[in-house]
Amino acid sequence: MVTEATDTVAATRSRIQIQGAAKSFSGRTVVDIDDLTLGEYPVEGLIGPNGAGKTTLMRMIMHSTKLDRGTVTLVRPDGDDRGDVVLSELPTYAMAGLGVVKTNQVIMDFEKLTMWDSMLLSVAKPKQELPFKIFAEAPLFAEHEEEMRHYLDFFSLTDPADQAGSAGEKKLLDIVRCLLLKPSFLLLDEPTAGLPDDLTEKVMEAIRLLAASGTSVVVVEHDLNVIWNLSDQVHFMAEGSVILQGTPEEIRRHETVVEKYLGEGHVGG
Amino acid sequence: MSTDWLSSALVFGLFEVVMYIGMGFLLHMQLGLAGIGNFGVVGFWGLGMYAYGIIYGGHAPSGTDLIIDIPWPFGDPWQAIASVILATLVAGLGGLLIGWIISGMDLDGQLVGTFGFAAIVFLLARSQKGLTGSEGGIGGLDFPYDIGSEKANAMLWLLVASAIVIAIGYYTWRVHRSPYGRLLIATGQNEPLARSLGKPSNLTKLWMFTVTSAGMGLLGAMFAVIVHFLTPLKLGVDVTLAVIVALILGGAARVWGPVIGVLLTVGLFEIVVQLYAPFPDSWYRQAMPVVKQIIYGMSLIVVLMYRPLGILGDMRRDKLMRSIHGD
Repeated sequence: MVTEATDTVAATRSRIQIQGAAKSFSGRTVVDIDDLTLGEYPVEGLIGPNGAGKTTLMRMIMHSTKLDRGTVTLVRPDGDDRGDVVLSELPTYAMAGLGVVKTNQVIMDFEKLTMWDSMLLSVAKPKQELPFKIFAEAPLFAEHEEEMRHYLDFFSLTDPADQAGSAGEKKLLDIVRCLLLKPSFLLLDEPTAGLPDDLTEKVMEAIRLLAASGTSVVVVEHDLNVIWNLSDQVHFMAEGSVILQGTPEEIRRHETVVEKYLGEGHVGG
Repeated sequence: MSTDWLSSALVFGLFEVVMYIGMGFLLHMQLGLAGIGNFGVVGFWGLGMYAYGIIYGGHAPSGTDLIIDIPWPFGDPWQAIASVILATLVAGLGGLLIGWIISGMDLDGQLVGTFGFAAIVFLLARSQKGLTGSEGGIGGLDFPYDIGSEKANAMLWLLVASAIVIAIGYYTWRVHRSPYGRLLIATGQNEPLARSLGKPSNLTKLWMFTVTSAGMGLLGAMFAVIVHFLTPLKLGVDVTLAVIVALILGGAARVWGPVIGVLLTVGLFEIVVQLYAPFPDSWYRQAMPVVKQIIYGMSLIVVLMYRPLGILGDMRRDKLMRSIHGD
């Protein structure tokens, strides 16, 4: 049954709790969420028509867009005694250190850095990047070579000593950078946009493996087949609010969703 | 080995070349790696220079003491060494203050902010008679040792300064091959992306700017010793222009860029033209400084039009990564 409040499955994963959060641009309310918890299921999809506020909500979670009001809190899994953290009070760069990581909707890369550089940047800890650590490169590479090569092989990325060339390579590299951060909560903003089918499958497989290892994953995606195939729970967003929550089957059959967003093509099978 | 061929003028010319290469390395880290614009190089250099003069115990030409007169409990060379260290710290504090102001600005704002800082340093040097000697300047700055002649002292100081600049160059070279260098490049290239990967981009830029500004101050303090006498004329914008022209000419993104650029500009003019070109003396006094600025400016225009990344071109991380990590 589609509900307006999600039943808790088990608090074994990191969750993001959004309370009373709103954001307006030029007087127009883009996001207005009363109470929403993300990450209660291994993989959650966030869908909705263009302009629904999905990307803005993600940016609010990462605090790369300031909230007009409200809070975004990282809720630790049961048994983790580090305590909850109010993300909306922290600078953007602090998110990755807390395990909250987001891929980018638009393709972003470091123009002059190679793929090795990008991956090493992700895995380097602050103490390895101190100005006087001028001999830290070799130990850093040795420490992380295996996992970097694993992802290179997994996504069939060749020649890591060169820059990512195509848009697809840059998209995958963005995902790899995030995976190497070992997130406890990963937000994926249109991770398969522009990718061919085989690489889309690879990305979906990576997401499944990550979720199976205990990471909470939230996917924003316009390719609804990805959402239906991956998600354990789907949030439907419209006009800045999450108006429906449920399993993929429940959401894709819901009259309002079909009428306003999906069309008949996504119903059934 | 005879050093008769090495005139005092040549030693001073070489010292200037060494100074500019050092400042070029530091500006390379600011602009070429971290993407921070600094149009106030002379401000940090001059701050170190004047801070050294004041702290060391220089005096006005009339012989009267300046307002600040530190009663050093020991003499040279420790007095000079301590003064150089303190002058470096003063320049670093200047870098921290200006860096804090400009770290959130775009490139245009950074250029204007640092230019404004250099103008303030110049105005302080020119107007604060009790502190800086004003137009009269600060004198009484000699080598912290005496090994014989003035030329011998200057040569030894040139060796000391060269060793410091070589150390700065080696550090810069290592930075390119370290996680810290990668962090600087990432911060300079795409700050939002760097932040999303957990990198505190503003703090990174601030510390880097502070340390490299302190380095510029260190070089300024070294320069104060060899010139013996400080006046506001030494704080002209032409110093900043020369460093920027040299860096862009050589290649702002390459370690060797400042070396090539300085040799082709400052080296060519301050040594080859000034000492060996057969021009009449009157030219050197009147026309040559103007001609130098014109040629520097034209070189910059030509390079920006036809080879905007400088003679050595862009950084080649692919070659570097292959040489370090294979593949």
